[in-house]
Amino acid sequence: MIPFELAEPASLEEAIALIDPDDPDVRPIAGGTALMLMMKAGVFRPRRLVSLRKLNGTMTDIAAAPSGELQVGAMASLAALEHSPHVVRSAPIVCRTMKRLSNVRVRNVATVGGALAHGDPHMDLPPVAIALGARVRVVGPRGERELAVEDLLTGYYETALKSNELITSLTIPAQRTGRAAYLKVTSGSADDWPALGVAAAIDFQGDTVKAARIVVSAATSKATRLATAERLLTGAAINDRVLRDAGEAAAAEAVIIGDLRGSAAYKRELLRVYIGRAIRAANENCND
Amino acid sequence: MTEAVAGKQIGRSVPRLEAHAKVSGRAEYTHTMRLPGMLTAKIFRSTVPHGRIKSIDVGAARAVPGVFAVYTGEDIRQVIPEPYYGPAFHDQPILALDKVHYVGEPVAVVLAADPHVADQAVQLIVADYEELAAVFDEVEAAKDKVLVHEELKPASTFADLKHLKGRKGTNCALDFKLRRGDVEKAFASAAHVFEHSFKTQKVLHLSFEPPASIADYKGDSVTIFTASQGPSFVRTEIARLLGWPENRVRIKVPYLGGGYGSKLYIKMEALAVALSMLARRPAKVALTMEEVFYTITKHPTTFRIKTGLDKNGRIVARQCAIWWNGGAYADIGPRVTQKSGFTASGPYDIDNVSIDSYALYTNLPPAGALRGFGIPQLVWAYECHTDMIARAMKRDALDFRKQNLLRDGRPQATGTILKDVAIEKVLDRIAELLKWKAPFDHGNGTLRRGRGLAIGLKAVISPTTSVAIVNIAADGSVTVYAGTIDMGQGSDTAIAQIVGEVLNIAAETVRIVPRDTDVTPYDMGTLGSRSLFHMGHAVRLAAEDAKAKIASLAREVGEPEGSNVPLAELFRKKYGMQAGNIVGTGSYKPDYVPPDTATGLTPNATPFWMAAGSGAEVEVDTETGRLRVVRLINVADVGNPINPKIVETQLSGAALMQLGFTLFEKMHFDGGQVSNASLADYKIPGIHDVPAMENETVAAWQSNGPFGAKGVGELATFGVSPAIANAVDDAVGVRLTELPLTAEVIFRALRDKAGNPLKDE
Amino acid sequence: MTTRTINFTLNGRVVSAEVAPHHNLVEVLQTQFALTGARESCGQGLCGCCTVLVDGNPVSGCLYLAAFADGSDIVTIEHLGGPNALDPMQEAFIESGAFQCGYCTPGFILMAKVLLENHPQPSDDDIKDYLSGNLCRCAAYPEIVNAVKMAARRKMAG
Repeated sequence: MIPFELAEPASLEEAIALIDPDDPDVRPIAGGTALMLMMKAGVFRPRRLVSLRKLNGTMTDIAAAPSGELQVGAMASLAALEHSPHVVRSAPIVCRTMKRLSNVRVRNVATVGGALAHGDPHMDLPPVAIALGARVRVVGPRGERELAVEDLLTGYYETALKSNELITSLTIPAQRTGRAAYLKVTSGSADDWPALGVAAAIDFQGDTVKAARIVVSAATSKATRLATAERLLTGAAINDRVLRDAGEAAAAEAVIIGDLRGSAAYKRELLRVYIGRAIRAANENCND
Repeated sequence: MTEAVAGKQIGRSVPRLEAHAKVSGRAEYTHTMRLPGMLTAKIFRSTVPHGRIKSIDVGAARAVPGVFAVYTGEDIRQVIPEPYYGPAFHDQPILALDKVHYVGEPVAVVLAADPHVADQAVQLIVADYEELAAVFDEVEAAKDKVLVHEELKPASTFADLKHLKGRKGTNCALDFKLRRGDVEKAFASAAHVFEHSFKTQKVLHLSFEPPASIADYKGDSVTIFTASQGPSFVRTEIARLLGWPENRVRIKVPYLGGGYGSKLYIKMEALAVALSMLARRPAKVALTMEEVFYTITKHPTTFRIKTGLDKNGRIVARQCAIWWNGGAYADIGPRVTQKSGFTASGPYDIDNVSIDSYALYTNLPPAGALRGFGIPQLVWAYECHTDMIARAMKRDALDFRKQNLLRDGRPQATGTILKDVAIEKVLDRIAELLKWKAPFDHGNGTLRRGRGLAIGLKAVISPTTSVAIVNIAADGSVTVYAGTIDMGQGSDTAIAQIVGEVLNIAAETVRIVPRDTDVTPYDMGTLGSRSLFHMGHAVRLAAEDAKAKIASLAREVGEPEGSNVPLAELFRKKYGMQAGNIVGTGSYKPDYVPPDTATGLTPNATPFWMAAGSGAEVEVDTETGRLRVVRLINVADVGNPINPKIVETQLSGAALMQLGFTLFEKMHFDGGQVSNASLADYKIPGIHDVPAMENETVAAWQSNGPFGAKGVGELATFGVSPAIANAVDDAVGVRLTELPLTAEVIFRALRDKAGNPLKDE
Repeated sequence: MTTRTINFTLNGRVVSAEVAPHHNLVEVLQTQFALTGARESCGQGLCGCCTVLVDGNPVSGCLYLAAFADGSDIVTIEHLGGPNALDPMQEAFIESGAFQCGYCTPGFILMAKVLLENHPQPSDDDIKDYLSGNLCRCAAYPEIVNAVKMAARRKMAG
C-alpha cells in the first residue's frame, strides 16, 4: 500500500469537514475490511482516510424501542449486531444472516454503516435490510436526512450518498407478524461470495400473505426488490403453484449479471428455484 | 505428550517432531525471514501473453524516493551472462529477454528497503510490446502454427531426462511413445470399441506460504534461504548459472508453508541471487498470493482414449493420446509427460497398448508437478472411460474392473512386471465400504443419489538418489543429516522412526538437522512420493553403518559381543572423556532401465508401484445441479505404514485437495490473463466443504522398501475426481467429461439430457 | 513519510511503536517485535493465517491498520503457553495431528481458543461455523475439529 494521511476526528462535524467532496482520494474509513482490500489491490489509492473509529457519542449503540423497532449505530460491528439480545428478539433473521456472513474476524471489525455504504451487491446485510424495510439516517454538511436502504443502493458499488455524507444509524422497523429468511447460493466453496442471494420477508394474516418484500442480490448489480413477484404473492396463500409463479415472475423481471460464479442464464434458473425456497424458509422460520 | 519409548519405532504414531515449533508460532518460514541490510524485490510483470519487448521505461520508478535500484533482463546479463534456467530445458530467463511468453512473466524488478516503496515504484514502470499471436490450448499448440519458442534447449541435468532433444519449429518439448503388441490388429478384431475424450482444467497448488527466496551474495560465495522442496537441485543450478563449483553455493531451507510440487526445482532463487549480486546487499523475493497465479500451475490436459473389448468383455486394446498444456516454460513438464505416460493405460491387463503423450508449450503461466505428477489427470480420464464402457456393456463397474485388473506377476504396459501392488485389495476394500453389492437408495424427487469408484496406478520417478548421514555424539544422542524437506508430510518424523528402529532408540530423541547444503548431503528432491522409499533407505543404511561402527568401537574397547554397555560409556572408554563421534553414511539409488525410445518399453520402469482409489456417494439437486459429496472413501496401498496417524492425515489431505480440483477449483483466463488471481475468486475447500470421509490403508508389504514401506503423499489424489463423476452419472444419468464438476455444468448437462438446453443470454 | 507513535499492550507488556498510516498490524508485529506467528498469506482476510486478538477478539492482522491498535490489548500466538508448557489448545492440536505444514496453525489455534471462551461445549456445527473463515491448504480440517473437541472436553473436565 502507498502512504496516505490518516485523520481521526472526534466528532461527526469534524469528520464531515475533513472530507473534501471534490477529491475522490479522500474517503471515510470505519472497520476498513473492504477498503483495505481495495487499497491492497491498488484500485483505491487514498490521499487521506478519515477514520470514524474515534467518534464520540452513540455511534456503536444498538437499542430497541418498546415496539420492537431497532436503532443500530452505524459504527456497531457486525459481530455486535449478531450477538445483540435486542436483535435476536426483534429481527432474528439478521442474527442468522450474520452467522454466515464472511467470517468471525471480518464481523468483529466490519461495521453496519460500512456494509451498507460500500454498495457491494454481494454483501448479505443490504438485501436483508431491504426486505425488513430498514432505513438509514445520513448526515452531511447540510444536515441530516433519512432514506430507505432500498433507495440508498443505486448501482454496482454505487449509493445515493454524497462523498461527504455519512451513515449514522440504521433503523429496522418492528417485525410484528413477519417471517423472514435469507438464502445465499455459493457456486465455489461453501465460504465463497454468493452467486445469488434471496431475502424474503412476509407478513401473514392467517394463512394469507398480507405483504411480501422479496429481494434479490449478488446476481444483480445491486440488492433489488422484485415487485412483480411481491404483487403476485400479496393476498395469496403459500402453495406450490404460487411459489412457482412467483419464481417465474422473479426470473422474468430481475436484471441478472453473469460472472465467474455463474452465467446469467444459470443464475436466472437459480433465482426461479430459490424464490420458492426462500419463502418456504421464511414461513418455517416463524419469527423464531 | 506421548512418552518416548525405545524399541519398536516402525508402525508407531509418533507425533511430529516439529510439532512444538509449529503450534507455538515459532517455526520459521522463508517468507517472514529478514536479514540485516536486506532489500525487498517487487516484480513488474508482462501484461501481454506473447510479445517482443520494444522498450521498458523504468525512469519514473527509479526516481521514487527510497528505491535502491530497478533492473531489467539486460541488467541481469551483467552478472549472469546466460540467465536461462530450468530442470528439463534451459528455457526460462530470470527476467524476460527480447520476448515475453505469458501474462505475468517477470520483466523488471524494483529493489527497496521498504516493501511499500517497491510496491509503489513498480506501478510506475511502463513496457511497450509488439504483440505476437498467442496459443493457449494444448491441442491447438500441437499444430505448431504459433510457436512459443524459436528454439528448445535441453538441460540434461537429470538422469531420466537425458533423452531430451533440442528442437526448432515445434511447441512440443517431449513426445513419449509406447507401443506394446499390435493395437491396430486388436482393434480390428475387437467385438466392441469405445472412444472418449476428457479434459482437465488449470489449477494450482496455492501453498499458504507463497514462494520466497533470500540471497546473500558475498563475492566468493552465496547463501540462499529458500522455500524449496529440492535444495540440492537449486545448488546445482545456481552453480551452473554462476559458473561456480557447488561448494561456493549454500542453500538453507527453513520450514515450508506447503509445497505440493510448487517449490520444486528452481523458482525465485536465481532472481534473488542475481539481485543480490547486482545490489551487493541481501535481496529477498517473496511473492504475494496474486503472484502465485503467475508462477507455477498444474497441467491442463486433453486425453483421447480408445478401448477395444473382446466378446467376453476383456480389454484387448487401448490407445491413449494425451496433450499436456505446459505453459510458457517447460519446468518439469517433460518428466510429467513421460513418467505418467508409462501408466496412461491404467491399472488394467491389456496386451495391446499404444500411448502418445505430448508436452506442449503454450502462452499460459508455466505448469509443473502438482501432487501426483500428472497421474490424477490420467486417472480422471481412464476411470471415467472405464465406467462408461461398463455402463454401455451393461456390466457392473466393479466386476468389469476386476475382470480386467492388472495383477502382480503380469507385465504392465511398459513391460515391467507388476510386483507388490495391492490394487485388488484396494478395489475390494472400497467396494466393501460402499456396500457395493447391496441395494442402494437413489433417492427421488429433486434429490438424487449415486455412487462411484475409481482406482489408479503410478510408477515412481526413477532413477533418483538420496544420501544421508547419521551422526552419534559422545553422549549417545543421534543427529541425522537428510535432504528430504518436511513441508508438512511428516518426513522428519518418519526418518527419525527408521533411524530409531535401527539404533533401538525412541524416534522422539532423534534430531534432524535443518536442511543446509553445506552440511546436508545430496537428495534429488522431495517429490512424487519418493522420499520415504529413497531417503528411507539412505537413512536406514546410514544408521546400519553407524550401528556397525558402534559394534567395532565396542570390540576396540574390549567389550564382549552383545554387551549392553551404554554408548556414552564406550566413547569414554575410548577417548577418556565425553568426546568423539560415530558417523554412519548411507546412499541409495535403485536400478532403472530407461524406456526404449521407439517402443517406450523397459523391463524396469520403477522401483515401486503406487496404487490407490476412492469411492464416493453423492447427492444431486436436479433443480439447481448442486452436487453434494455425501461420503468419500480413500483406500491406498502404502506398503507397511511407518506412522499410521501421519499416513491417514496425508490420505485425508490429498483427497480434500483433489476434491477442490474436482468440484470448483479453476483458473479462469481472458486472453491469457488470469481473471481470478486471488483467494476471493479462486476458491479452495474450507471446513464446510469436508464430506464424511474414511481413509484407509490395506495390509501390504513393499518387499524392497525400507521396513516394507513406500510413499504416500500423492496416493489419495488418484481416484477422487472419477469416483465422483461416476457417482454423478449413477445419480442423474449425465456423464461429465471435463473438470471441474460445478453445479452449473451439471445443471446444463441435465437440461441437455432433457432436450431443453439452457440458452445463454 | 509521517509516522505516529502508538501505545498498546502486546502479549501482556505495554509497548509502543512508530508506525505509518499505511502499515498493517502484521507487518508491525513482524518488523518491530520479531513476532512472525501471525503471517500474511492470502492478504484478503480469508485464510486466517494473520489472525491476531485485539481486545480479546480475533481480527485479520493483514487487514487491520496498525494505527488502529493504539490503546488496545494485542495477543499473538507467541503469548500462549508458558516457558515449560503449552496451552491446552496447542497440546490438543499436536495430539490430534491437526496440522501439516503449520503455516495456518497459529491462526486456527487462536480462533479455537476464543471459540471455547464463547462456546465451552461447541457442537461440530459451532466449530465449523466459527472456523469457516480459516483455511488450511493441507486440509487438516477433520483433525482440527477433533482437536477443538478434545480441548473442550478437557476444559470441561477441568
